[in-house]
Amino acid sequence: MANDPQSLNAGTASTRAGTPSASATGKAASLRVQGVSAGYGAVQVLQDISLEVADGQTVALLGTNGNGKSTLMKCIMGMVTPSAGQVVATIDGVTHDLVGMPTERIVDLGIALVPEGRRLFPRLTVEENLLLGAYRPAARSEIARNLDFCFEAFPRLHERRTQLAGSMSGGEQQMVALARALMTVPRILLIDEPSVGLAPIFVSRTIDKIAELKQRYGLTVLMAEQNFNQAIRIADSGHVIVHGHLEFHGRTRAELSDNDMVRKLYLGA
Amino acid sequence: MEITFPLVANAVIAGLLLGGFYAAVSVGVAISFGMLDVVNIAHPAFIILGAYIAYTLNAWLGIDPIVGALVVSPLFFLLGAGVYRIYHLAFESRGRGALPGLAFFFGILFITEVVLILIFGVDYRMVKTSYSELSLHAGSIDFAFRLIVPFIVSVAMVVALHLYLKHTFFGRAVLAVAQDPLALRLMGVNPVRVREVAFALSIATAGIAGAFLIVIQPVQPSIGREYIGLVFAVCVLGGLGSVYGTLVGALILGLAETFTATFFGPSWSPAVSFGLLLLALAFKPTGLFGR
Repeated sequence: MANDPQSLNAGTASTRAGTPSASATGKAASLRVQGVSAGYGAVQVLQDISLEVADGQTVALLGTNGNGKSTLMKCIMGMVTPSAGQVVATIDGVTHDLVGMPTERIVDLGIALVPEGRRLFPRLTVEENLLLGAYRPAARSEIARNLDFCFEAFPRLHERRTQLAGSMSGGEQQMVALARALMTVPRILLIDEPSVGLAPIFVSRTIDKIAELKQRYGLTVLMAEQNFNQAIRIADSGHVIVHGHLEFHGRTRAELSDNDMVRKLYLGA
Repeated sequence: MEITFPLVANAVIAGLLLGGFYAAVSVGVAISFGMLDVVNIAHPAFIILGAYIAYTLNAWLGIDPIVGALVVSPLFFLLGAGVYRIYHLAFESRGRGALPGLAFFFGILFITEVVLILIFGVDYRMVKTSYSELSLHAGSIDFAFRLIVPFIVSVAMVVALHLYLKHTFFGRAVLAVAQDPLALRLMGVNPVRVREVAFALSIATAGIAGAFLIVIQPVQPSIGREYIGLVFAVCVLGGLGSVYGTLVGALILGLAETFTATFFGPSWSPAVSFGLLLLALAFKPTGLFGR
């Protein structure tokens, strides 16, 4: 397996540098998690988590199963209420405190989650799933353009648009889940375990697609992933989460891949 | 009995017209039970309530019962929203199982019945409309207007509901809400609100179906119970959650009941709905249009 993430990603990196900086015009979206602790009943899952996703960045949240990645995603989306700490999103100069806000309002701010296990509506068609993504008023006005773009980005979905989502393969379902999240017109996109349950070939395609979509939409991305090598191909920086603690922050791809703990946890060295 | 053409033709026409009425009776349950998983066995009670309101409006102001029911349908919508809110706060949001909810709706069924008996007594009531006595004749076949008018309005209502659920943002959210309410939140939709409005719609259809009922036959407070088996049979036969399936299921049941009544005697017809329900569950549990 190719283990030099920087050379693999050289193309993307140079185009990223070429995009005009959104923050200069005041159009920017960033996310900050500050000292968040959370759990289910007596079980403490997250302890004092702090991380930041700056505008236009892709940050990877790396960790194996059961370390709290999904719980952190749910805390940001208002699906789990943190016992302590702050979650703050700054979108176009306006700062929003997300703790205590209902999920649907957080989505309405322009924050979308592609949930673990995809959570499609299995007995609705692909197209109906996508149209549900465009439910919020701000998304409806751009619906035709976004649907065209989704079908252009995922030609497979156009072929299958009248098929029931539940009857598709895992890779195709992941495409629907990504496309559906994009239909909400997010500024900040959270993706929980995009690679889970996919054949290896689809894992790298899905990761590539995330980078492409991020580029095209100018998204700010936080991606939870256990496939370390795939995730750091497209991440600008990353955090390693172990038993609910952030154990390591790699500010660059090189720092992440060239680290003793990461080696121990992921690369078996 | 000798089977003659006019007998069969009249049975087909009467069966289809009756089926159209059954569609109006059942479509609300197709929404509440089929799409929201709310086992609203009080649905027929709301139909009887609608029948009495149409009757009262007719007796006071001389308004045609169907027109009257359409005018007061927003009130039924609000009533439905209120009932759902209570059901949600008392049962759904506390994660209670289906059984206490069932008892809740049983309670509503009996309370509605008793209140109607206290106000109107147990006598049969009927409304005479301008078209009650009229019928069309084509050879030896009769088309009674008191069946044709409800049939037309009922089919129009079912088609309108189908189009609304299939082609609007809100309709798609209703179809999605029972499948995964949490995922719906991630689309920026409040699933409780969607369920409340959808349930309210189902009760609005019950109010309108009540007016059809009192145009077609005399009504007495406790006859709602006779429809409980029928509405669930139609929904399962048609396929849970499918509005057109409900229409087709209702037409099949109307035909089956009319044929049974014509050739074997009316006392057999109540057995038809449960018989069809058993057959559907045995051979096609997803119903004709279920997906």
